[in-house]
Amino acid sequence: MLQLEGISKRFGALAALSEVHIDFAAGEVHCLLGENGAGKSTLCNIVFGVHEADSGSMTLDGAVYRPTGPAEALGAGIAMVHQHFSLLEDMSVVDNLILGQGRGVLKRQEWAEKVRALGERFSLPLEPFARVGDLSIGERQRVEIVKCLMREPRVLILDEPTAVLLPDEIAALLAVCRRVAANGCAVILVTHKLAEIKQVADRVTVLRGGVVVTQSTEPEAEIDRLVEAMIGRDLGSLSGVASGAVGAEGAVGAFEASHTPDEAGEGAEEVVQIDGLTVRDTAGAVRLDNVTITLRRGEIVGVAGVEGNGQSELGLVLAGLLPATEGKVFVGTRELTRATPAEVTAAGVGIVPEDRHRVGSIVAMSLTDNLLLNRVERFTRFGLMRRGAMRRTAEAMIGRFDVRAAGPEVPFSSLSGGNQQKAVLARELETEGLVFLVASQPTRGLDVGAIESVYRLIREACARGVAVLLVSSELDELIGVADRIVVLYRGRAVGTLPARPENRPAIGAMMAGHAQ
Amino acid sequence: MSAEAPPLPATPWRSNLSRLTRLPGVFALAAVLVAFLVGLLLVVAMGVPLGKAIPAFLSGAFGSGYAISASLNRSVVFALVGLGFILANRAGLTNVGGEGQIAIGGIVATAVALYGGVDGLPLGLPFILPMLAATLAGGVWGGIAGVLRARVGTNEVISTLLLSFIAVWLLYWCVQSEHLLRQPMTTSATLPESAEIPHSTQLPLLTGSYATPVTIGLPIMIVLAILVAVVLARSGLGFRLRAVGLNPVASARAGIRVASTIVLAMFIAGALGGLAGAMMLQGEQYTLKTGFSSGYGFDGLVVGLLARGSVSGVLSAALLFAFLRSGGIAMEMSAGVPTALVMVIQGLIVIMIAGAAYWLERREASA
Repeated sequence: MLQLEGISKRFGALAALSEVHIDFAAGEVHCLLGENGAGKSTLCNIVFGVHEADSGSMTLDGAVYRPTGPAEALGAGIAMVHQHFSLLEDMSVVDNLILGQGRGVLKRQEWAEKVRALGERFSLPLEPFARVGDLSIGERQRVEIVKCLMREPRVLILDEPTAVLLPDEIAALLAVCRRVAANGCAVILVTHKLAEIKQVADRVTVLRGGVVVTQSTEPEAEIDRLVEAMIGRDLGSLSGVASGAVGAEGAVGAFEASHTPDEAGEGAEEVVQIDGLTVRDTAGAVRLDNVTITLRRGEIVGVAGVEGNGQSELGLVLAGLLPATEGKVFVGTRELTRATPAEVTAAGVGIVPEDRHRVGSIVAMSLTDNLLLNRVERFTRFGLMRRGAMRRTAEAMIGRFDVRAAGPEVPFSSLSGGNQQKAVLARELETEGLVFLVASQPTRGLDVGAIESVYRLIREACARGVAVLLVSSELDELIGVADRIVVLYRGRAVGTLPARPENRPAIGAMMAGHAQ
Repeated sequence: MSAEAPPLPATPWRSNLSRLTRLPGVFALAAVLVAFLVGLLLVVAMGVPLGKAIPAFLSGAFGSGYAISASLNRSVVFALVGLGFILANRAGLTNVGGEGQIAIGGIVATAVALYGGVDGLPLGLPFILPMLAATLAGGVWGGIAGVLRARVGTNEVISTLLLSFIAVWLLYWCVQSEHLLRQPMTTSATLPESAEIPHSTQLPLLTGSYATPVTIGLPIMIVLAILVAVVLARSGLGFRLRAVGLNPVASARAGIRVASTIVLAMFIAGALGGLAGAMMLQGEQYTLKTGFSSGYGFDGLVVGLLARGSVSGVLSAALLFAFLRSGGIAMEMSAGVPTALVMVIQGLIVIMIAGAAYWLERREASA
């Protein structure tokens, strides 16, 4: 139905796509598999008319297809569900759908009927007059999908649609993909999770570094080959955590034994007490509700939960960036409940913020500046910066933490995501007298190699006796790395379980709000 | 995660700034030449013979030792305000309150010079103390905007502008009221202005001659310019200013005291404006009168904008604008060309340099 021939796209010096040939056939679910930076999103954006290809051509049903913008793509019958929703929260489902499609008199009842009919046909139940703001993330995504299906598209693109969903919702979404394809539509599903491919893909194209490295029409049987193609290396070389990260656990066997040094057992000294922490936002809504977590020396405690259930607030309070409404935080004997960020650092707490670009670094400054950002005063003499000393220290850190960059003075923005994260981690792990590390979503957006490095560094710190609070929405990673897992749901710590693969279903249920 | 987009620059505005600072001097020079050319065309269009306008302009700007000295003194004021602007701008702040900071500096310098009991002190203190007081007062005036920004989040563009109105009206009040700074009313024709400040409080002239009245303000400004350059490029404060300007949240997380950095940046910008006001009063006008600040605060702001963050840029733009103004005034007086023409030329220079930067940016992006 849709053919891509020799599509190439460059962004400055970066070749995002080179000579990509893919055929998307009607009635098929075609998965695009690849790590971050492989070119998946760029490809989707070219098909959807957001970007224009530098060279190559596309044909849609035999005719030349050359969209100059999303409107034209929609007109040609190509619809896309983006990762980030574009819904107006204060409006009803129907009003959101009419937006941009309705003409003249708004026939709300008619639209509501359409919504119900579509919902029945594709198992996408939606209450047409519900306010979008009251819907769960999964339901909002359904609205986005219905919005696309209303146009009866010939090609439906879904860009990493499962990243924000609960396990149940993922299964439902994949079923919808199947039904839409069965209806004669070409479905393009972008993902980096293998489990999804096994469930739903008719055909898989693997991208790496902007190049199609392999394709498969029997993805389930060839899953190992696909993973190796995606990460560009042998599966045997992959650690358990990393294979968890790509969802390849089935392919490489059991997880390696989770980290359980004796040190972290009952006897170890408690170093961090988070006691009854409560945060209300300015509107008075409770974002974090009486959360109590205790960490021992050398212990890794995972915090699981679907995003938006209080993890961000927990991270901000511990970083000293958000005052807690109630509750206390102790690290060692020091109370840090209302400490400033500088006091938090002085108490030996390292913070890897979830937002690497907004909070974790200053991307326009150099790598050196970012590595030493929290201790510049130690490199000033008579008010002047000791650039030479800074550079030497930075070079040592770059070597020790294997940060790959063209040099210590290059802008931080020129580093890859993985190396940026290693640099942030390096800075925080070098915090003087480090006893506690808070790492929020430390592997988000990283490729497998970087994920391995990040967890190796975290484990090394932990072996030195540092207590680690690891906040992540990747449950498989938490199970692979943590000792025990605290589940946050709507701001409350709804349960704690040992981090073992057999507890996965129970943790998943708690994340969804089903109390145990 | 949509990490497949190309690595984005921090923010378009920031990268713009850094591009502009790297803008080759050739462009600036070309912009100035084109602006002058357009200015000449306008003169012709007004029906004034070029043979009359150009000599008038040149003699006003460079024609005599006096003309050059006056232009240099003017450039000192522009440069001080411009230096303050780029320093605060390093922290992401836009100080448009130069006019008010000059006014406050003028008021305080007058008050101290006339009533501070400084006349007769040794060691140059009679002219140093009013300057210091004015600097401090300007700093406080700028610092208010800094505190408002850091504490309540009031945009400093708004607050510095409004504080300027307050300062300018305060100056009016001071020179209108005998209880404040107005000279004693002897006749009904006594002008609403202060008495002339004592000779000892006036800035010493470098040459000692009123034929070439370049004041000690020039070397003071040059020292301050070097200081600002060092602070921005090499000091811990410069690092903090830059960090806060680029990303206040990440700076806060790294333990930098963002609020006090913002207040300090605005204090310094205001202080340089206050000093500029003192120099205008003590080096040139000697009496405080309505209209004292003469729009120099806004010229200084444009100098700061044009300089694109560099101290040498401030100095060259300050010189250019000062000589332009001197020439423009002469042109109006002896050739009948309105000084507004100078504003047109200034505006053209700003637009062309900004446009060239934008164009370069686009070209680089598509390359």
